[in-house]
Amino acid sequence: MSYERFLADEPVVVTAALTGGIHGKEASPNLPETPEEIGQAAGEVEAAGASVVHVHARRDNGERAFSTERFQAIDEAIRRYTDDVVIQHTTGATQAPTEKRHLSLRTDPPPEMASLDMGPLNRYDRLTSENTLATVDALYDEMADRGIKPELEVFNDGHLNEVHGLLERRELTEPVYATLIFGPGTLTRPRPANFLNAVDNLPEGALFNTLGFGRHQLPFATMGILFGGNVRVGLEDNVYYREGELAESNAQLVERVVGIAEDLGREVADTSQARDVLGL
Amino acid sequence: MTCPYLSYRESADGKSFDEARAYCDAAERFVQPMRADICNDRFDLDHAEDCEIYLDHADADGHEADGDRGEGDDA
Repeated sequence: MSYERFLADEPVVVTAALTGGIHGKEASPNLPETPEEIGQAAGEVEAAGASVVHVHARRDNGERAFSTERFQAIDEAIRRYTDDVVIQHTTGATQAPTEKRHLSLRTDPPPEMASLDMGPLNRYDRLTSENTLATVDALYDEMADRGIKPELEVFNDGHLNEVHGLLERRELTEPVYATLIFGPGTLTRPRPANFLNAVDNLPEGALFNTLGFGRHQLPFATMGILFGGNVRVGLEDNVYYREGELAESNAQLVERVVGIAEDLGREVADTSQARDVLGL
Repeated sequence: MTCPYLSYRESADGKSFDEARAYCDAAERFVQPMRADICNDRFDLDHAEDCEIYLDHADADGHEADGDRGEGDDA
C-alpha cells in the first residue's frame, strides 16, 4: 500500500505544470507562454523544489502550438535557466490531428518524459479529447522507440482499466508512473474516498502522481504526500493561491507544497533522486 | 470561415497584452487559447457547431459573416 512509501521516507517528486493548453494570460498574467517565459518559470520552480517540469507549447499570442520546433525552443530556454530539471512534454491536444500529438516527442534530445492520456475526456460543451486505444498505443510506441518514459494520465476511474489494458498490450519499463487526476466534468470526482480507491486500483508496484484541478490542487497534493505518492502543482491546473487571489507564479505554488511535504516529514526529491524514483 | 464574433485585440476588458489575442465580441471577453482554435475553425472544428457561445448568440444577431482570421495551425 502506498502509505508504506510515506512511512519508508521515500522522497516525493514534485512536478510543476507551468503553462497547459487550455487557459492563458487571459486567466492569469503570471502564466508563462513564450519559450523565454517558460524557461524562466522552469528555473524558478526548480529552485523552489520541483524536479520535473510539464511543458505545453504556445504561440506568441498564447494560442496552442504543437510543432517540434516550438518545443525545441522551449527546451533550449528551459536548459538555459535550469540546472538539471526533468523535462516532460505533453502529447495532449484536444481535437488536433493525431499526427500533431507526436511532434513534441521529436525534439533533439527527446524529453525524458511525456504525458500519455489514457482515454477520452470532454472539453467545454461540445469537444472531446478522444484518446482511442490506437492513439494511446501509437504515442506509447514512439515514446518507447525514443526512450521517453510515459506519464500515464488517469482522468477518471475508467482510465484505470486502460492502464491495466496498456500493460497487457505493451511491456512498460518499471516503475509504471500514473497521474491520478481529480476535478470537475469527466475527471474523477474530487473526494478522498475516490482518491484512495484510485490508488488501490493501480497496478502492483505502480507509482502515482496526484493532480487536483482548481481549489482541489492543495488538498489533493497533501493527500498525495501523505499516501506515499508524488504531486503535481502549477498554473496549468490552478491559477489561484487561495480563493480570489491569483498565484504570483508557478514557483509560489511549488514552494507551498514543498513546505507541506517538509512539515509532514517527507523529503522532497532533488532532480537526481527524482530520476532514481522514476527510473529515468 | 472564422467566427464572426472573433477579433484580435491587444487590450479590452481592463486587460492588455503585448500580442493581440483572440477576443469574443459576443461574450465580451478574451477567450481561452483552446477555445480560440474553435473561433478560427482549426483542426476541422467549426464554430457554428462546436461553440456554445456562438450558438447562443448567432440566431439573435443574424451573424453569417467571416471574422478576423488568426494564424494558421502549424505554429
